[in-house]
Amino acid sequence: MQKLFLKIFLIIVMSQGALCAKDYNASLFGIKSDGVTLNTPSIQKAIDFISEKGGGKLKFYVGRYLTGSIQLKSNVTIELNEGVVLVGTSSIYDYVGANGIKALIVADGQQNIGVSGKGVIEGQGPAVLEQITKQIQKGYLQETISQASPGLIALNNCTGINIEGFNLQNACGNVIALTACKQVRLAGLKIKSTSNKDTKGLVFSKVDGIKLENLFIETIVSEIKSDGLSTNISLVNCQYASGKNLIFKN
Amino acid sequence: MMKNLLIVIPLTIFICFHAQAEDYKASMFGIKSNGTTMNTTSIQKAIDFIHEKGGGRLVFYVGRYLTGTIQLKSNVTIHLEEGATIVGSTNIYDYNINGPHFSSLISAYKAENIGLTGKGVIDGQGRDLAYTLLDQVQKGILKDELANDRPALRRPKGIYFRECKNVEVSGIMVKNAAEWVVVFDQCENLKIDKITVDSKAFWNNDGIDIVDCKNVVLSNSFIDASDDAICFKSHDPTKLCENVEVRNNVARSSANGIKFGTVTSGGYKNFKIVNNKVYDTFRSAITIATPDGGVIDNIFVDSLYAYNTGNSIYLRIGARWNKGRTGSMNNITIQNMYCEIPNSKPDAGREYEGPVEDLPRNISPASIVGLPGQYISNVTLRNIQIVVPGNSNPTYAYRGIKPADLDSIPEMPAAYPEYSQFKELPAWGFYVRHVKNLTIENVTLTAQGKEYRPAIVLDDVQGATFSKMKYIEPESNKKKQVHTYKSSEVLLKK
Repeated sequence: MQKLFLKIFLIIVMSQGALCAKDYNASLFGIKSDGVTLNTPSIQKAIDFISEKGGGKLKFYVGRYLTGSIQLKSNVTIELNEGVVLVGTSSIYDYVGANGIKALIVADGQQNIGVSGKGVIEGQGPAVLEQITKQIQKGYLQETISQASPGLIALNNCTGINIEGFNLQNACGNVIALTACKQVRLAGLKIKSTSNKDTKGLVFSKVDGIKLENLFIETIVSEIKSDGLSTNISLVNCQYASGKNLIFKN
Repeated sequence: MMKNLLIVIPLTIFICFHAQAEDYKASMFGIKSNGTTMNTTSIQKAIDFIHEKGGGRLVFYVGRYLTGTIQLKSNVTIHLEEGATIVGSTNIYDYNINGPHFSSLISAYKAENIGLTGKGVIDGQGRDLAYTLLDQVQKGILKDELANDRPALRRPKGIYFRECKNVEVSGIMVKNAAEWVVVFDQCENLKIDKITVDSKAFWNNDGIDIVDCKNVVLSNSFIDASDDAICFKSHDPTKLCENVEVRNNVARSSANGIKFGTVTSGGYKNFKIVNNKVYDTFRSAITIATPDGGVIDNIFVDSLYAYNTGNSIYLRIGARWNKGRTGSMNNITIQNMYCEIPNSKPDAGREYEGPVEDLPRNISPASIVGLPGQYISNVTLRNIQIVVPGNSNPTYAYRGIKPADLDSIPEMPAAYPEYSQFKELPAWGFYVRHVKNLTIENVTLTAQGKEYRPAIVLDDVQGATFSKMKYIEPESNKKKQVHTYKSSEVLLKK
């Protein structure tokens, strides 16, 4: 009886959460579309706020939004509408990682998260790489280039991920890196990232359940790479820049 | 005799009137040059005083003059000496936001013989102003729908003159408006000469907007704006923009260099656009569009040099807000044009860069696109060179030339007219659809890399003559560069 009550209670709480799922405009949090204001703390505040309120969408409209790493939280989707460019800053100390992998959008141990829309995520790869190289040369940065290079999206230990519709370009590190994630869907993404020669497209490790649909991937080295420990992978209509179908060797 | 007297009297009055026009120093009215005193009421007092005295110039000397909205009156010219800057307040409530017309820093309504002259500057501080307005909206004090997450209403323009006659704006620099920068609406006899517009302060920073005006000369000016640089509009279906000359200007934009539209209710007639340059511009060097039922007739463009622009030419009939009226476009001549289109973003690195849209798409061709049954007619393109990067990737985006491919291109009558709106197009030089009587003469199209598309696709073109054409494309031996579909009377001369 107690158990049943708990179940009902949980269902009510969860449905309330779903009901609470709301849309929030980026401007509400003072996030600026001018391409020069570093928006990291205001975007992070928005994500934290929305997650605490039970979840919802953070909606960006046309403009360039400069930012460092932002951490996605449970039940939050970032929506990048057409004309939006989420621009990674060239200042390398503005990046953090998930499970040691730095990226512009990171998440660790979160559920039900997403990034969607027809916009663009721009990594400014060459500018970021130049900063990293200089900082390593000067001895201020005690990391290798590949450790320091931020990708565009790095998710670790997350469940229920939907990344859909937009364009990803000019990553410094790997474009999308997923480790120990479950129930992942990547769909309709156009990845063009040839500005840095070591950039890989998709990198997976220990992912369980991943659907790849309608992807276009153009990188110089591996478009897609796995450590062989991932399971339940499906590929539909995914192509290299050459027009050949992407093959996924687990 | 009586008749003669009738002529003489007004003449005398006119002469006296001009003799009376004198200079008044701003300081005489307690206007402060310290950059912190809000001068709105004292500047307005000065204008009203000069107006009542029969006219003259209000002269500002070196300094920063902070103000909200001021309204010019007949026979008054504001003259800004070198070093004088009119600085717009960043408080939205210092502006005429509740008036019957658009709000602006400097306004005029039904005034005659007015001017803004000198070598000074008008600085709207538009970004801070727009963000204070946005803040008031977010606090719920002002209502706004926030189109694209930015205030849609009440963002003050820089200069807005409406229904004025005999207007001169010369020499000054106007910068940083919260919305359109320099706007003339239903004005007559308008002379704009040697001005500089520098405005990348916020969204919708059109450089110069000429709306439903008659007898206009815009010359020797430099316009650098985050939205369309030199822009003609028609807001009133009973009016139109006519007799306009645009000469010796340089434009740079994160939208279009020279743009007819978008709002095109009445239309445009008799334009001469001669010897202008457009560079580092995100969209087209020139766009002529009638999406809202307007009539476009007799547009002559000569000597247009476009370097590093996203597109060269876009001509378009649409049906967006036409309310049953039918838009038309006839007699368009573009000659002596050079245009270079880069592989990178032409306006990269600017604040408020033009929004990347309509992806995936390879570099778009110049396009002339009417609607089914609504032909763009009598278009002449002569002595034109266009250089494009080539290297299109059919995996990234593909549109072939099979009937099914060409028919898959949407008509999009209600869409905002922009050269990229159809996404991938099947040509790399020109895409022409629903056009009558097209003459293309001595046109050289160069693709710097190999293209999967032909240079030119004609779809539903009734009457076209091509002569002295040249196509330059690597590895293009025996490639058929002109593809015709559903077209008639197409003549390909040597």
